[in-house]
Amino acid sequence: MSDFFLTQVINYGAPLIGLILFLGALGFPVGASVVVIAAGAFSQQGILNWASATLIGLVGAVIGDMLSYGIGYYARGWTQKRFGNSPVWTNANQSFQNNAGWAVFLTRWLVTAIAIPTNLIAGESRYKFSHFLLYDISGEFVWILLYGGLGYWFGSEWELVYDFISNFGGLILGLVIFGFGIKQVLSWRERNKQTSSSEQGV
Amino acid sequence: MLSKVNPKQRALVIGLIILGILFTIFFGMRAFHAFKKFGGHRPPQQGKVETDVELIRDWMTISFISKMYRVPEREIFDALNVSPLGSHDKSLKVLNNDYYPDKDGFVMDTVKATILAFQASHPPPDSAPTAVSTPTASAAP
Repeated sequence: MSDFFLTQVINYGAPLIGLILFLGALGFPVGASVVVIAAGAFSQQGILNWASATLIGLVGAVIGDMLSYGIGYYARGWTQKRFGNSPVWTNANQSFQNNAGWAVFLTRWLVTAIAIPTNLIAGESRYKFSHFLLYDISGEFVWILLYGGLGYWFGSEWELVYDFISNFGGLILGLVIFGFGIKQVLSWRERNKQTSSSEQGV
Repeated sequence: MLSKVNPKQRALVIGLIILGILFTIFFGMRAFHAFKKFGGHRPPQQGKVETDVELIRDWMTISFISKMYRVPEREIFDALNVSPLGSHDKSLKVLNNDYYPDKDGFVMDTVKATILAFQASHPPPDSAPTAVSTPTASAAP
């Protein structure tokens, strides 16, 4: 799939990058990160104009994110009906609200695999849209600048960068999952301690 | 210690921790190997002509390759015996499927050989093209 899009980026330039990043932000498997790295390399080779590619790519990605935030926003009725009475769901929503800015920012460029669920949860939990937009634009800008910059730096050998970044993303995702599990165990321990000390007090 | 926790929740969190460890080990090793390939890499100089034909991929178009290796498009299209009209936006893979469906990799090999031959006769400064065997050409359908 990404091979097809790379050919089209060569043929149609920046507008196609915008479209690919828009589709990627909605969850379509278009290989958006590959395209950003390759676009950096194409700019270095004089095939693309880096300024217009950055601007149009950023606009495409942000519009896609806004749309997936909107999907989460309007799906609230369904999730409330399904999970609204669950204390776990309420806690998870509260916990997301406390760290939403960082979650949105980091999932744009560091843990990209969970960017779409984050958008949906942000919309569903009524995270303030202006804040979402601010962190989203900052994160997407870092993503395009960092990945595209590495592509530019490596030029025609940009595939080395993609190989590293895709595996590094998996590594970070693994650490996030592991960290989440450990945090949950620690919170259970804390709760148990509090319960047993209150029982002893009685 | 965690005896008061719902067994389903406990199993889920243990599963997540194990999955996290597996992901970390698997992707960590792959990332480390990928990082090692960076060793000694220097950013390409602005304006330097590419000479390594092993970087050509089948999603590339002739027009793109022509710019990347500074070889006139006409040279490559002539070597392939393909008209440039309507073929500018086609990838090497599509060209191979359209014109040489019975010869897998023929377009790729011909493009590489043409670039090497052209760069050998028009040497770019500070470069030494690598040798690639020339495929036996035949007429397009």
